[in-house]
Amino acid sequence: MQLWILLLIPLVTCIGVGFGGERNARAIALGGSLVTLAWAAVLAMQFPHWQAEQWAYWPAPEDNAFPVLPGLGIALELGVDSVSLLLVLLNVILMPCCVLGSWVAIKERRREFYIWLLVLSTCVMGVFVARDVISFYTFFEASLVPGFFMLAIYGGPDRREASFKFFIYTFVGSLFMLLGLAYVAWQHAQQTGDWSFAISDLTAFAPTLSAGEQGWILLALMAGLAVKVPLFPLHTWLPLAHNQAPTAGSVNFAAVILKLGLYGLYVFILPMVPEAVVTWAPTIAVLAVIGIVYAALICWVQTDVKKLIAYSSVSHMGFAVLGLIALNPLGLQGSVFYMLSHGFATGGLFLCIGMMYERYHTKDLREVGGLAFKMPVWSFFFIVLVFASVGLPGLNGFVSEFLCLIGTFTAVPDAKTGYPGVLGPWFAAIAATGMILGAMYLLYMTGKLCFGPLREPADHHESEELPKDLSLREIAALAPIALICLIFGVMPWPILHAVEPVAEEVLKPYPALVESHFEQMDATAKVSLLSDTTLEGSR
Amino acid sequence: MNDVAVSLTQAGEASTMVPITTGTIQIVLLVSAVMFAIGMVGFLTRRNMILMFLCTELMFQASAIAMIAFGRMHMNPEGQVFVIFILTVAAAEAALALGLVVLLYRRKPTLDAEAWSELKEC
Amino acid sequence: MLSAIAHTTLATVAMAGGGDGSHGLPAGEPFGFQVPIAPVVDEQSFALAAWMIWLPVISAVLCGIYAALGVKSRLPAWTTVAALAGSFVIAAITVSKLDFAKPVVVHLFDWIDLSWSSGSGTADDKWHGLRANFALYLDGLSAYWILFVTFLGTMIAFYASEYMEEDKGTGYCRFFAGVSIFLFAMTALVLGENLIMLYLGWEGVGLASYLLIGYYYKKPAAVAAAKKAFIMNRIGDLGLALGIYLIWLEYGSLEYGALFQALQAGDTGAGQYDGWAATLIPWCLMLGAFGKSAQFPLYVWLPDAMEGPTPVSALIHAATMVTAGIYLIARTMPFFLMNKALGGHALEAVAWIGGLTALLAATIAMAQYDIKRVMAYSTVSQLGYMFMGLGLATSFGACYHVLTHAFFKALLFLCCGAVMHGFGGQLDLRKLGGIRRVPGWGVVCWTMLIGSLWLSGVPGSAGYFSKDEILSQAFITEGAGFRLLGWIGIITAGLTAYYTFRVWFRVFTGPTHYKPDEAHGHAGHDDDHGADHDFHPHAPGLRINLVLTILSLGALWLAVGYFVGDVWGTQTWIKNAIENSSAGTGLQLMPAGEHPTLLGFDPHTAMYFISGTFGLVGLAIAWWLHCANRKAADDLRGWFNGRAWIAWLPRAMEHKWYVDEIYIATIRFPLWIAGQALYMFDRIFVDGIGVNGTARLPKIAASLFQPLYNGKLQGYATSMAGGLALVIAWIVWVWMRGSV
Repeated sequence: MQLWILLLIPLVTCIGVGFGGERNARAIALGGSLVTLAWAAVLAMQFPHWQAEQWAYWPAPEDNAFPVLPGLGIALELGVDSVSLLLVLLNVILMPCCVLGSWVAIKERRREFYIWLLVLSTCVMGVFVARDVISFYTFFEASLVPGFFMLAIYGGPDRREASFKFFIYTFVGSLFMLLGLAYVAWQHAQQTGDWSFAISDLTAFAPTLSAGEQGWILLALMAGLAVKVPLFPLHTWLPLAHNQAPTAGSVNFAAVILKLGLYGLYVFILPMVPEAVVTWAPTIAVLAVIGIVYAALICWVQTDVKKLIAYSSVSHMGFAVLGLIALNPLGLQGSVFYMLSHGFATGGLFLCIGMMYERYHTKDLREVGGLAFKMPVWSFFFIVLVFASVGLPGLNGFVSEFLCLIGTFTAVPDAKTGYPGVLGPWFAAIAATGMILGAMYLLYMTGKLCFGPLREPADHHESEELPKDLSLREIAALAPIALICLIFGVMPWPILHAVEPVAEEVLKPYPALVESHFEQMDATAKVSLLSDTTLEGSR
Repeated sequence: MNDVAVSLTQAGEASTMVPITTGTIQIVLLVSAVMFAIGMVGFLTRRNMILMFLCTELMFQASAIAMIAFGRMHMNPEGQVFVIFILTVAAAEAALALGLVVLLYRRKPTLDAEAWSELKEC
Repeated sequence: MLSAIAHTTLATVAMAGGGDGSHGLPAGEPFGFQVPIAPVVDEQSFALAAWMIWLPVISAVLCGIYAALGVKSRLPAWTTVAALAGSFVIAAITVSKLDFAKPVVVHLFDWIDLSWSSGSGTADDKWHGLRANFALYLDGLSAYWILFVTFLGTMIAFYASEYMEEDKGTGYCRFFAGVSIFLFAMTALVLGENLIMLYLGWEGVGLASYLLIGYYYKKPAAVAAAKKAFIMNRIGDLGLALGIYLIWLEYGSLEYGALFQALQAGDTGAGQYDGWAATLIPWCLMLGAFGKSAQFPLYVWLPDAMEGPTPVSALIHAATMVTAGIYLIARTMPFFLMNKALGGHALEAVAWIGGLTALLAATIAMAQYDIKRVMAYSTVSQLGYMFMGLGLATSFGACYHVLTHAFFKALLFLCCGAVMHGFGGQLDLRKLGGIRRVPGWGVVCWTMLIGSLWLSGVPGSAGYFSKDEILSQAFITEGAGFRLLGWIGIITAGLTAYYTFRVWFRVFTGPTHYKPDEAHGHAGHDDDHGADHDFHPHAPGLRINLVLTILSLGALWLAVGYFVGDVWGTQTWIKNAIENSSAGTGLQLMPAGEHPTLLGFDPHTAMYFISGTFGLVGLAIAWWLHCANRKAADDLRGWFNGRAWIAWLPRAMEHKWYVDEIYIATIRFPLWIAGQALYMFDRIFVDGIGVNGTARLPKIAASLFQPLYNGKLQGYATSMAGGLALVIAWIVWVWMRGSV
């Protein structure tokens, strides 16, 4: 029931926004998003599994399922584990910031804008709290609609192309995902005689399928999720959409929508098709590593700052994918942490750019720059967030990047962690060059935008609506994000501990599978020697 | 709906209804086929929208006749039920279609169907 | 248990590889440190030490608050000086209580502490966590380091309170916040109890360096230099990060205590990955150290970093931050020794790269005109000496040189800063001269003389003793070409004396002349001495002179301490501190018994004469060319320029051997081209052909049928009828076939 209320609060707020008049829309939306935040905080406090030894959902499924078509096993079921609750918190914390960030920027059709924003929030939260495939898929697809309209109505000059590409690309991908999920449900019905769409049933059943079937299911699921993540080469919708979207849209796309893909990897692919994951992990990792380096190099030659940050998301998400398929707790914890820290850092950067855009109406690095003297407060926040993205220790980016990389690095056949993996030092070493490239393009951007002599567009004149530097409202939008970046960097352990049981649960079948995977490979002297030591070492 | 059909069937069996012979039904079907063919040829060859519309009505009724004939052959009243539906829908359609034709005529004073091809794709 | 397995595996691998087993540890001779490292103890009595790290944090936060409140007084400076002085006092108290042979761990708070059940599900208990908490590791090495870091930090902040006077306001707050952040990061680096905390400090000092080099952010050169420093350092950081991953992979821990115990027990770390990963550890760490400490090939950022305010150059880019690489290698010396014991060449590489960098940087320093750049290259060169010392397995020599260098180089930089500050940003030694006779410049002149003497290593100076410790070691330790390396070091010592005194003689002696720098002028900040016609140099004030005096006294004390022996003996104390820590285990590699000789003497004795002679000769040449007979210098330059076969030499030296240009041509430009090419590829192939092309497929398929939709109603009807006819024909055909 608590979770239903969580989803309903933004929707009820929508009604308020709709009837509250054009002038009050933003205030009502802000109020609604704050109430959602408060409710989510209450849930987070009630959540009993932060320190759990065992992984568990909350509330228990039997209390919370709402049968729709019992004959087909379709029931709406909501529930959270620590990962999904963390992602819900990410969403609700960013939502008021988004409203504050669009306060002045959206001048026309305000009601509609805030309604779409709130609906988007509901949809992504719905994805995170769904415990059955049908509602997962429904929310997953429904989140495209508000995204589409925000992009198409309030976007930049190329908004038509961007919105169509965003919608159709991700939609086509997720159709394949639906196909894969439906196949699993169908097989489940065939073999057990009962229809069920509960994620717990399907994830328990799917690993019994043959390796070949698992491979096809993996492919189908990846088709949908890899587009969302996005994984090279399926990323091209992202720079376009992030670039053209209004500020709040970019923040939401980068911070939350991309996490839907990773969350899908975590909730479906890892538990459902372990054999196929072991087989295909190196391939996925190669794509992730290519994405890291490729997108980073592209970032470096961008002149449009929003596009630069958008490509940087492609690069950063590569790390998170690597951590996820490293198949050890280090990487998985790092990957979950990456979802959160990337959400805050990149979301914050987009907010910053939005604030600059409202003043200068350009996001071209060649036209505007050297703002540190004129906008010191803005520059302060911008630099903090840039360094959070760069992965400076003490800020959130470091912990996640470090854990993902060390997880990938230790994903070797005879890892001392007790979790052998199929990646290894080479993947981590090449991915780690992304650290250097990341510093290169982010500092290039900072150098242009904050430092150097002041450059302003020729037709620039001070707006009477906005102060020269940030207003209190804008500081209120950025300060929580910057603070969270710092807190996460200094005190990552509450989150890491909360993810620990999750990691153990999800990765439970993997060590045995990886070992048998290596045994199946040609029993060269090397492999047999190494696995001997592993067996002895793990005692 | 089903209940009604069943009761009708029972009522029919109780009355004097008997299956018509094969020869009779052939004649009825032939009439239906000829009507349909005339309608189709008319539709394909005429350009006048009202005439084309009449031709479609002709084809419609031809199929209705065929349906009644088959219903009678199988002693099944569902055929007649459908025809009643068809007639209703056709009446509504006719009203709408003729209204549309009038509207089109107001836009361009012609009844030539060729004049209205803005939606073509090439 | 694990180590036993590791041993067996290594031996097996060595056999399988056709080796003779020589890559394994010598049989029957367990690998041990000459000074065994005691296990760490967690002592509550050292809880005060935590404030060493917190005081700079508090001061950074306060400076930030001052900036927000718009404080325009000297409050930030006094806050910072007080905090750093507090850190220093606490460091002194802590060190006085510390027994160097017994490392102490002080736990501050949990940072990263991961543990999980075993993957195989056999054990229920949590095991094998990745632990990296905020904790301090106090032993001889870190105590030694933290003392001079906090002391110089305090001094230089005090100096900067006057130097940065013109920027009072936001800039002042920003500067001191940066200095405080730097000190926080540096203490974390030095005191951290695990490699991740070291990494935190490592990147933290990089951040502080970025912010402070880019302090004059309106100046494009400063921004570019800051960016270059950060990125070059990041390349090194990549090495360090990979090293950390490897250590975790091989040893399953990142805490010094556990690692040293494992190494001491003979764990070669070769249990994994055929052992190749274990041999890579020192090489990765080396890359990190070379990045931070500006060694070849990653040194090019340091000279550019001189764009920052001079106190920053003195503190970060001369005395403390750049020695972090030395600290890293000294701290992880057991890994290098393990590498050596396994037949690796990591230590030799450190020594050689250090020595060659020393020579290369010295040659560049000889031909520079910007006095801060001369000092910067001299820093690179001196750091090269320190690496040479580490590679020659005299951690003591290296660390001793770190200390003496920190004092005299900070002094030299602060003197340069005073000159620059007083003469309108002028740094070109051709445009300055005879400053000795300008009123108010006496302290600067004579303290700089002390710094120059110490840097040149003239006999009796502190630099002389510490450098000799390294150079003589080159003739003692056995290794690839170490004797040649020793001679390279000796020649470099001569060059050092020359370029140092070239600066001093040019700036302080000869006829008095000076003019301000038009272009410099503190980067657009309102400054009052931009005008040429009525330029008056303003002599340094009390605080600058006081700091210079204190530092030169410190430098003197380091030299005097050598003579007075045990009572005030710096050397004994340092030796005690270093050699009881993990860094001091190197002596084991020296041949037992008799030292080899150098020119018939014991190398230590011989070196006193040799390096002293080279230093004095260099000094004398500088005196002749730049003080006594300046025309000779012009003649010499003319002689070089007049001969085609040699004219390239001074030019190449002046242009820093074109290393920057080579980097741009071979790395930066190709990468940029790759970026552009990939961007084009992304738009044309991935997005254009891949995505839009796929999206166009349905449209192409549709165009096949498009002619059917010609807008003629009859056309549609015909196709309908035709379709119907086809369907009927098909049904009839199926029916016919079925009936037959």
